Amino acid sequence: MEERVASGIYGLDEIIGGGFRERSINIINGGIGVGKTTFGLQFALCGLNRGKKVVFISFEMSENQIIRDCKQLGFEEIEEHLSAGNLRIVHIYGEDLMFPSLDILEIIRESHTDVEHQLVIIDPLTHYSMYLENEKRKSISSIFMNLREIGTTVITLEGSDGNEEVNQSSIMPLYLADSVLHLDYLGFGELFDRTIHVVKHRGSKHGEGLYPYRIESGLGIVVISSESDIDKVTATYEFDKEFMTAIQQAGDIDQRLAKRIELLRHNWTHNESPEYILNLVINDENR
Amino acid sequence: MYTQTFEQVLDDLYETEGIHVCILYRIDGTPIAVRTPQDTGVLKVMLWLEKQINNVLREINKEGLTATTFEFKDYQIFITPTSRSTVLVVIIDLEAHHQLISIEIARAKSIINKCVS
Repeated sequence: MEERVASGIYGLDEIIGGGFRERSINIINGGIGVGKTTFGLQFALCGLNRGKKVVFISFEMSENQIIRDCKQLGFEEIEEHLSAGNLRIVHIYGEDLMFPSLDILEIIRESHTDVEHQLVIIDPLTHYSMYLENEKRKSISSIFMNLREIGTTVITLEGSDGNEEVNQSSIMPLYLADSVLHLDYLGFGELFDRTIHVVKHRGSKHGEGLYPYRIESGLGIVVISSESDIDKVTATYEFDKEFMTAIQQAGDIDQRLAKRIELLRHNWTHNESPEYILNLVINDENR
Repeated sequence: MYTQTFEQVLDDLYETEGIHVCILYRIDGTPIAVRTPQDTGVLKVMLWLEKQINNVLREINKEGLTATTFEFKDYQIFITPTSRSTVLVVIIDLEAHHQLISIEIARAKSIINKCVS
């Protein structure tokens, strides 16, 4: 099974297949006040507390502001990690970058030169000077490709508040990212005021519902999901007999098909029997 | 856990004879929980509902609309707020036992309100 990187958000990993995939780009999208920076900080602190090296690129907040916010949330250990050199916080103004995509990558590479895999947080990526006007998709694609080589990245992105037209360039990163989590905040003071929705999560089973979350002192963001929510993304292993029969039949056709069906077995989360689908696949492959 | 409780409430409501669909919407039109049948008989009604729901939710949110009912072909659609930010939509048979269903909806509303408020 693929290694996962913990998100650091209580209650989230259960609904995203155990965490983020290694060397992936994960976007946290949402409007004002939803907790995007808090998400990034929790991801960073979780990684640091598990021995990872972290770079936090901030286009808005200074190092002192970030330290203050962490302490207010109860993450006192941030200063220890900074002193130990495990965490590097870089505060930059987008306008000061000559070649945004190259400069950002250079900063990240220089931060922990002896580390093969680190965690990167970019907060936020919305700054338009990050990429050239006429080469947006190529620029973003290039940044993302390089970030994947460096490590696992969480990027916050300022979403629209619903009252303005969606800007094509502002949503381009969503298409290119490996995961997109959308945070919402309505302001009614009820359970579903703050919600998180997993818009996409490449190569992973994930919850498809709307999950309420809270921002609590000492904990940060806590996602609330029910047992049935978690059951929906957990493999049942109730139909092993049907799968074993199909794997044997598939093996007679092609070993690669047998492996794919084995993979399906580990990801079968439905309460209904897979027999219909397995028969369909075997019959199709037999033609 | 409250999310488990209101999920159970929707499951129980959905089991009531004559009820085809239960959907709990957030006031901005986002579906929170959906219970729909496997068959496609009620699909046309749901497609119509999708086109109307945002207007109705806006009336509930901005104008204080408390409840509304639509009759559509062989079905009746109840739309009723369950809290400041959630609205319950129930699609039932026109010939179902409306009094019983009203009681069940009222019960569900009360529990959902306690869960989400």
